[in-house]
Amino acid sequence: MFKSNPYHNKTAQWVVYVLFFGALAFVPVLSDDAFMMNQFATYGVFGMLALSISLCWGFGGILNLGQGIAFGLGAYGMAMTMQMQSQDPETSPMPPFMLNNSVEQLPLMWEPFWHTGWGIFIALAVPTLFCVIFGTIMFRARVSGPFFAIMSLAMLSAWYTIILDSQPFTNGVNGISPPAPLSIGGFEIDPYSGFIYWMVLFLLAAMTLIIKLITTSKFGLIVQAVRADSERVRFLGYSVSYYETVIYAVSGFIAAIAGCCWVVAVQYVSPAQLDVSFSISMVIWAGIGGRMSLLGSIIGAFMIQGGQSYLGDEFLATWLLILGGFFIFVVRFLPKGLAGLLESGLGLLVAKPAAERESAPGPVAGAKVQG
Amino acid sequence: MGILEIHNLSKDYSGTVVLNDFSLDVVELTLCCLLGPNGAGKTTTMDMITGRQKPSSGRILLNDNDITGLDEHEIARRGIGRKFQVPAVFKDLTVRQNLEVAYSRQTSPFKNMFRFRDPGMERKLDEVATQVGLTQRLAIEAGTLSHGETQWLEIGMVLMQDPQILLMDEPAAGMTEQEIDKTSRMFNELKKTKTLVVVEHDMAFVREIADVVTVMHMGAHLATGSIDQIEANARVREVYLGSEEH
Repeated sequence: MFKSNPYHNKTAQWVVYVLFFGALAFVPVLSDDAFMMNQFATYGVFGMLALSISLCWGFGGILNLGQGIAFGLGAYGMAMTMQMQSQDPETSPMPPFMLNNSVEQLPLMWEPFWHTGWGIFIALAVPTLFCVIFGTIMFRARVSGPFFAIMSLAMLSAWYTIILDSQPFTNGVNGISPPAPLSIGGFEIDPYSGFIYWMVLFLLAAMTLIIKLITTSKFGLIVQAVRADSERVRFLGYSVSYYETVIYAVSGFIAAIAGCCWVVAVQYVSPAQLDVSFSISMVIWAGIGGRMSLLGSIIGAFMIQGGQSYLGDEFLATWLLILGGFFIFVVRFLPKGLAGLLESGLGLLVAKPAAERESAPGPVAGAKVQG
Repeated sequence: MGILEIHNLSKDYSGTVVLNDFSLDVVELTLCCLLGPNGAGKTTTMDMITGRQKPSSGRILLNDNDITGLDEHEIARRGIGRKFQVPAVFKDLTVRQNLEVAYSRQTSPFKNMFRFRDPGMERKLDEVATQVGLTQRLAIEAGTLSHGETQWLEIGMVLMQDPQILLMDEPAAGMTEQEIDKTSRMFNELKKTKTLVVVEHDMAFVREIADVVTVMHMGAHLATGSIDQIEANARVREVYLGSEEH
């Protein structure tokens, strides 16, 4: 028996987070199947996306159905960087698909991608800047809740269409498939190796722990208050729109990193990464795993995507029905997802104070700490 | 000259006038009570001072600076704190966390990301918790407080902001007599260092705390004076006090 719910114990939470990522780091030791390493690396990317949704939606209360924008823009930036690594200014200054589209010289927006450092910087900066601008416009106008969700969805569709229709610059529906793996300073990141897995896992773990730390700061407390009653927070002297924009932009930055890792792992990007259904999936991962818990959301992504890869083949057409049914079940019966189930499960182990057991319900003893 | 001056404030919603050429001077380190029947425009006035609503015309000056039409957080940063008519505390947070959030010296999100311990805040929190009598209740969720305690918590939150001017919308509403006594002692202590504007209906409470009373009626200024002068004022008796007697 515990005095208070161990789910809310800060030290226990940190131990679980560290153990979780520590255990995952050993996976390549157990298996050296190159295909599996690559597949698990993509799961890590999905984990990053679930983390970003958990931060934005679960923690910040901003339901974002357009996370594919930041993910897709990051992915395109990385794909352009990798594509230009295979080009030569003298002999072949343009990617082959441009020649097929009878483009005569390299478009200006492709020029910075000659330089790998600049390319990666742009791949991360553009999506983040987009979030800052779009977020500022929306949150200043006090757009929130379902209205923000609709706006983010509309914006996602707009970006999807722009990229799809800019055939000469983006290769349209076919997308960009860089011919060679990313190489940084002469080191080539083999997408079918333990290295890519460790790289993605390290980034995922580092970002998760940093976000976890931030949520325990004063900033985290203010965001909790904004989620509870944004109107009240304004009168305390905080600019609510500033805080919302920061949450939204940090979340977009994480998704942009995920986009970069995705292209490094799969060497491919197309408008499908900005498809509405993919952005909705991210929300479903977080919803099922438990949006209020960073780790719960990440595990949600692993479960659903893992299930799709392994069970999806068995059930084929019915897989989407199973997933949909499961999601409806979770929303109806487990509003805080599987993490919430764990929270209430551990809550049963809490020893009730003697006074409360004997007498009629009095003031609640034992402080509840926010988890 | 007052620390807070309201000049000819008017507000109408497509023809319906809620405030009509209302002016008010609040003198530093006094407690000014706003009285008036329902719909007189007291809460609307507070909404305008704190930026929740924008006036149709008129000006609001704080320390001779025009604050009319600024955003809520900007006005709060300039030193006006507000307690709402319906106590607005964060019910899911603990009493301590409510007070911590209200300590808003540092409002930048990025600087607050690196703020985990704050000795200055801890000192202020101890002081305020003692002032409002919630030292024993810091660890519990705010949603489980009694109504009177919730009022005190919100007063405490306003104090954590350390404002120059405290606007209190019906701070004693729903309190027991002992709680009202405690609150009036608290306010009489507060006005030694702060300027207060209090909207209240409980005349006994007003008599305990008010330095000056302003009566509003139908969105306009009706009378200003000491509590005795107000109670003797024939027009006030007619529109407000008189109507309560029958």
